[in-house]
Amino acid sequence: MGKRDVQICFRFRSGTPDMEQHRSSGARTPLNSALVQRRSRSKSYRLSYRSCLGAPSRLGLTPALTARRLNTSRRAPKSHNISEKVSVEQLALLLKNEWKLSYVTPLYRFRHTQMRGYSRQLSAFIAAEKHQGLAVDVEAAQGSFRASFSVIQGMTETDDDAETILIQIHSKSSFPGQDEPQRALWSGWLTCVYGNPEYLNSLPKDFTCLPLFCSSGSEVLTNAVKSWFQLTFDCCFGPLEISHTSLQWLVALWTNCHAECNIQHLKMIWSVPVMPPLQITYTVDGRDAWELWNSVRRDPQEEGEGGKDEEEETGSNIDITEVERFMQGLKGHFYRHFRLDLSAGSLKQVSTALGLAKCNGRMKISNSKYMIATLTLLTECALLKMPM
Amino acid sequence: MDDPSQRLLRQLLRRIPAGNLKTTLEKWGRLTAAQWRTIDFTQTKSSIVQMLALCAENEFTMKHITELEMMYVIDNPNKGMWYAFQLIDPEADSQSLELTQFKEQFKSHLCELVRHVSVKIKKHTDEAVWIRIAWGDSYSRPNHLKPTYIVHHLQTPYVFVTGLSPKQRPLVSQALVLSSRYHAIKAANLSGRNLTAIRDLLMKQYQQVFPTRFPSPLSERNQSVSNPQIEREHAGHKENRLQMASETFGDGMLPQLQSSVYKLETKFRDRANQTMTEREEPFKCVVKFASTNLLESLKLCVSSGIASTPVTPLLSSIPLKGRNYFVITDNGPAPSSQMPLSQN
Repeated sequence: MGKRDVQICFRFRSGTPDMEQHRSSGARTPLNSALVQRRSRSKSYRLSYRSCLGAPSRLGLTPALTARRLNTSRRAPKSHNISEKVSVEQLALLLKNEWKLSYVTPLYRFRHTQMRGYSRQLSAFIAAEKHQGLAVDVEAAQGSFRASFSVIQGMTETDDDAETILIQIHSKSSFPGQDEPQRALWSGWLTCVYGNPEYLNSLPKDFTCLPLFCSSGSEVLTNAVKSWFQLTFDCCFGPLEISHTSLQWLVALWTNCHAECNIQHLKMIWSVPVMPPLQITYTVDGRDAWELWNSVRRDPQEEGEGGKDEEEETGSNIDITEVERFMQGLKGHFYRHFRLDLSAGSLKQVSTALGLAKCNGRMKISNSKYMIATLTLLTECALLKMPM
Repeated sequence: MDDPSQRLLRQLLRRIPAGNLKTTLEKWGRLTAAQWRTIDFTQTKSSIVQMLALCAENEFTMKHITELEMMYVIDNPNKGMWYAFQLIDPEADSQSLELTQFKEQFKSHLCELVRHVSVKIKKHTDEAVWIRIAWGDSYSRPNHLKPTYIVHHLQTPYVFVTGLSPKQRPLVSQALVLSSRYHAIKAANLSGRNLTAIRDLLMKQYQQVFPTRFPSPLSERNQSVSNPQIEREHAGHKENRLQMASETFGDGMLPQLQSSVYKLETKFRDRANQTMTEREEPFKCVVKFASTNLLESLKLCVSSGIASTPVTPLLSSIPLKGRNYFVITDNGPAPSSQMPLSQN
């Protein structure tokens, strides 16, 4: 699948094109190789995520840029008092751990009402795996495992997003009657926050899309949970790395929150490819980072022209060019002192008081107020990375 | 053998890795041949137990155990965090200071300042004086489990310290100043895990490269072109960069420095960004460079072009001035005597 250099134009027929018709015709006679057909149990075919983004391609028009990239413009993160909607214990768990990210393809016939059944099945599965000689933690080797599924209510904003699922694995204590709350050996959650509505609506009814999977705990248990999901719901897991662009987005989005919530500092870790590898930690004071961010947000052409209405609009939407200008400003300041161009290295980690994100696919949320914005970005990354 | 001695011995034996244990004990030489034969060095736990028994048999005191510890630390100095200090304002006769004089004076000065303190001084073969201090106070005996080690090269103004708490620092400073015939001592803003590295860096005991008008000898270092018909466009630039990198950082085995920290408090200046340039307050940030061998990494950055030449004084100050903690303000690098002892 390469980039298209040729643009083929077709004339539109008058009248509104019927989306239903076009979609089904596109499915049966694929016009370009960008459409990927999945051999699923159901007869109807699902369209790939990318074909939804490049809608004109189904009508025969080839877009000049293949839409296989992140959104270039995002809403500025607003403070969500999510603690009002989500239970305190569940929120505390989400904020406590550093999560390893993966993407998941849509789950077939997943029911939010069958949590108990799933808990039993997963416990049995893990016990069976253990029986087969799977290496287990020494501390947990005494008892067997007890899995529990639960729904985290209150994290979704739109009707298209499915409710977040939380999975925890506790060890069954060998001493019955212990009152103290058991510490979970392993936790994981599946979520979809502001997923692309076109894509979500294009899925057939039996599929639930929860593309972002976060896990924390031993690798063995993670693999066991993934295997069970793959067997039960015919889905696919894969590692989700946070790309350089996404990390830059997080830098901008988090810095933008400083007006309402003190980010304390903006810390970036770069890695320069020399032998031995050089690691550069660049920590900027929170307030100074925010002032720099503000100064690049105002378009130099519009300065002095825009009235209040325009300012409102630009305030709520962040464009990738502003993010790039911000990063350029930071790198420029660094270059003026050290004459070392940070672009020669790669951005590995970004952190503020709101959270931490690493390029190898680990992240931690430290403040619940802005986590929706972070999760929106990560959901988009997961949807893009999915092979479907 | 009393309890504190046993505890120290146990801690020490656990610290020494299995490979070094035999050689260290051999060097110590206080065990008889018969006792030596009874220790099984392949099993760590049992050898510790046997050692304890033997030491009890020989009735070793704290003095012997500290001797063993000091010997081990002198042979393996590259553990723990070392901080460099510099003595300033020498008196006329500071250069001709003799070892015995220094030893006596340091001991007496420190014992005057602190009630219960145990000081052990030893001169190493390479002209360095090693001092081990176990601190006590008016109510308790010296605590040997957390000693401070000081290394001072007599004819130089440099002192290296590890394991010193902020409360003990003024005491040591005063004792050093009085016994070495200088007027004051200040932090040299250099710290690292590797004592040999920071010592080599400060005293420039590594291969220096001097500016030369004819850099052509460098072509031997570069891989020679196999095909003479091929002309390398950037050969000249590459040679220049390599020469500059070598002049700044040195050649051969570079001292293994782990990190360098810059506290920047300069104004943000950018022609494209008027708002930030007009700002009065400085743009505060902290930059930390870290690597297993920092000087080697920086040298490669310069020679490969990642860092532009000429090398900025911020980076070249590391080898030139022998520092790795800097506070940079708009008026030039600020003299910083305030170095946090709990770095890293």
